[in-house]
Amino acid sequence: MRIEARELCKSFTRLVNDKDKKSRKEEFFAVDHVDIDAHEGEILGVLGPNGAGKTTLLRMLGNLLEPGSGYVHIIDEQGERITDPIKIKSCIGYLSGNTRLYGRLSARELMHTIGEIYGMDDASREARIDQIVDVLKMQEFVDNRIERLSTGQTQRANIARCLVHSPGIYIFDEPTLGLDILSSEAIVEFMKSEKTKGRTVLYSTHYMEEAQYLCDRVIMMYKGRIIANDSPSGLMEMTGTDNLRDTFRAIINEGETEEKEDA
Amino acid sequence: MRKKIIFSLYKKEMLDILRDKKTILMMIVVPLILYPLIFAGSMFLASSMLTASTSKSYRIGFENFADEQTMIDAFDKYKDGHDYTFVYYRPGTDEDEEEKLRNGDIDAYLIESVSDNKPYYQIAYMASKTDSQTASGMIKDILQDIQNEKTDAALKAEGLDPDAVLKPISYTYLNLATDEENAGYLVGMVVPFLLITSILMGALYPAIDATAGEKERGTLETLLTLPVKNLELIVAKFFATSTVAVGAAFLNILSMSLMAGYMLVSAGSVDATADLELSSFIPAVIITFLCVLTFAMFASAVCLSACIFARSFKEAQNYTTPVMLVFMVCGMAGMIPQLTLNSVTALIPVVNISLLITEIFSFRFEISRIAMVLISNLAYTAVAVVIMGRLFSSESILFGDAAGSLRLLESRKHMKDKQIPGIGDVIMLFAMLLIVVLFGGGILVLKMGLWGLVAEQAMIFGLTVFYAWYIKADRTVVFHLHAPRVPAVIGGVLSWAGAYLLVQLLANLVTVLFPGLASNQNAQMLQELWTDAPKWLMILSSALMPAICEEWAFRGFMLGSFEFKFKPAVAIVLTGVFFALFHMSLLQLIIIAPLGILFSYIVWKERSIFITMILHFLNNLTSLILEEYQEELTEIFPFLAGELTAGGVVLLLVIGSVLLAAGLLIIHGKKKEVSAS
Repeated sequence: MRIEARELCKSFTRLVNDKDKKSRKEEFFAVDHVDIDAHEGEILGVLGPNGAGKTTLLRMLGNLLEPGSGYVHIIDEQGERITDPIKIKSCIGYLSGNTRLYGRLSARELMHTIGEIYGMDDASREARIDQIVDVLKMQEFVDNRIERLSTGQTQRANIARCLVHSPGIYIFDEPTLGLDILSSEAIVEFMKSEKTKGRTVLYSTHYMEEAQYLCDRVIMMYKGRIIANDSPSGLMEMTGTDNLRDTFRAIINEGETEEKEDA
Repeated sequence: MRKKIIFSLYKKEMLDILRDKKTILMMIVVPLILYPLIFAGSMFLASSMLTASTSKSYRIGFENFADEQTMIDAFDKYKDGHDYTFVYYRPGTDEDEEEKLRNGDIDAYLIESVSDNKPYYQIAYMASKTDSQTASGMIKDILQDIQNEKTDAALKAEGLDPDAVLKPISYTYLNLATDEENAGYLVGMVVPFLLITSILMGALYPAIDATAGEKERGTLETLLTLPVKNLELIVAKFFATSTVAVGAAFLNILSMSLMAGYMLVSAGSVDATADLELSSFIPAVIITFLCVLTFAMFASAVCLSACIFARSFKEAQNYTTPVMLVFMVCGMAGMIPQLTLNSVTALIPVVNISLLITEIFSFRFEISRIAMVLISNLAYTAVAVVIMGRLFSSESILFGDAAGSLRLLESRKHMKDKQIPGIGDVIMLFAMLLIVVLFGGGILVLKMGLWGLVAEQAMIFGLTVFYAWYIKADRTVVFHLHAPRVPAVIGGVLSWAGAYLLVQLLANLVTVLFPGLASNQNAQMLQELWTDAPKWLMILSSALMPAICEEWAFRGFMLGSFEFKFKPAVAIVLTGVFFALFHMSLLQLIIIAPLGILFSYIVWKERSIFITMILHFLNNLTSLILEEYQEELTEIFPFLAGELTAGGVVLLLVIGSVLLAAGLLIIHGKKKEVSAS
């Protein structure tokens, strides 16, 4: 499955203070005419400073937010184009720092409910849950209430949640934020293994080493626009640096100067 | 909306709510523990205060007395048989009684003087002290006793009978209220308020938890990654909240009634309970149950709507405080004796439930009023649910972007052309119609008579036209503005004539079975309006206008929306039933619903609203003529006067069925050119 988005825009209103100290509402573009193509078996990294519009972009791709203009489509293995928002959601596993879990339910109950909502029949749902528990080694805590789990266990439960319906596309918004090395490694390895199974992964992070290690391709966002789109090695070559961290700095600086010149 | 998904979400919500200790506390522990505690506590307090006040001794002082011993003897004599004792403080030299009272050395004192040559006593006390108040009351009683004794003695000395002179007449109360009525009156004062408050409390917590709580804990975004529509989400949350609200209400009622029963038995008034006929409470209980159900849904929708704005628990509590205050103040309506359930109060939300329960318990209820309360509550609930749905589909509210502007109604600029109105639009329009027509129309009819009826119908028409214009509805499709076919008109008239006969038979049957339903205030009011009115105005107000305007709203707008959203049969029946409900009377419901369904079918099949406008006109005209020229008609057709014989019934049944079948055959035979979907 691959994801195709064209001319995506999303604007919000914010309050700004004028020089004469009157506050007024101003419309600004969080995402400004962005095209995205994520291919099968590819890990696409979305990088950018805070407030660049990464989360808004990923939310639109996951159909949590309705695009202001433009479209998001999914093209499945048979080449069929999926346009219905509800059907698109069924193809996507979405995970972010904001997607928390119900503390008063157990991971198994949560997966059970989610499976029901995805319209899975009883037998295949239970089989799938058992399989996920096995793969993510959740046997110890799968029946405990989520509020009693450790951070790492909760994160595993969160991944388990997006696996229930065997999605073809994963959208992960800063999945390793605030996790220790072991827990984040588990997630990184998970994405890698899903990629080899031919899944599409869209992934945003602030950890450049992680992105360099993991991503086949990287897009850099700045103020709602894409200012770079290439493989990590291609970008490093372009800016003449030897790690993605410096590359990032160079590209963002370039973006800032360009903007000043425009103004 | 997909029922299975809503059910899955509902199960999840319920599991989540019921595992929350705070909800359990509010729902179960409070009613089951708190009420008995309050009852027991207040009983204990009351009884301990009683013993404290009677077994106490009170300190009495005297001022200005020439001989206080006589007074003290009288006090000792008359306090016999009471529990309290007096301690007397004889005045010493230079002692100020007032200062002693202020210091709390004595509780009250008597001042003796002479006025009009008679002894004159002033009871000095301090209203700010409980003991002083009680003591002053006791002194007053004793002085009264002394006065009585002296009067009796004086009269006897004159050779008169004190009883005959002082009490030339005597009287006593005769309370004709039955025990049920007595109990019901008292219960009816308090129960509505307690019930409304407990439902609100029951709804409030899950409502906050399901909206602001989800945002605060970050689970809402998880929920939004799932392939569910926002409407499905909010409907599931709405049902879960309503369930808890109803559950809480029932536990509260249960606890209260158990406590009340226990108190009645333990107070030794078992005889009184034996007289209570519990069976007479059963219809009241059933109706209360229905009211509680709709009200719980209304309260849940209101609470959810208020909480959706909040991003955290604390914020949600701020938003719901005004809601709670308004509900509680309205809930007290039942305690105001002057306020009764009439056609205006029956339409005010919360107040109507409060009054209804009060009236049910005092056995004054009237079925048509209850129907109004239920229907108006359903309408308010529907509006609240639609508003809630709109709020919940606003991204700026869901993702807590406070600066984002909120639009309840989409502005007309952004609407697409040639729309088909959705269910939400139908609910909005009909709730508006119901409110405007009931409040506005009622007043207009009172002031202007038949012209008020005309104006009321014009309002129905105008509002529907306006709403359709606002949402840029596709007029031809929604209002079925196709020219009628001549055979379809003939078929329509035949089927209507048949249905009219059958429905009249049905109405007769119903009035025989349930005579209570026949008293119809609306019909009586119409007849009063008709007397002395010119014939053309009668026809205009009661036949022509309803035919055009009601068809426009129901077979036009409502059916025009429903037929795209439901299966044809469901759309047709729903339109017919809503049309009947709009007439706000149970007997009318039975008569009008079948006709409404027939009309809806004809419009659905023929895509022409003009046919049913003709039929509706004929229908109302016939009723008008039958009503107005009853005497003349019975002269010409004598059989109209007599009771229907069995043979007559069968004959009418056959004629009606044949006409209906023939008419439907003509219409049904048509090949459909324009398909609804």
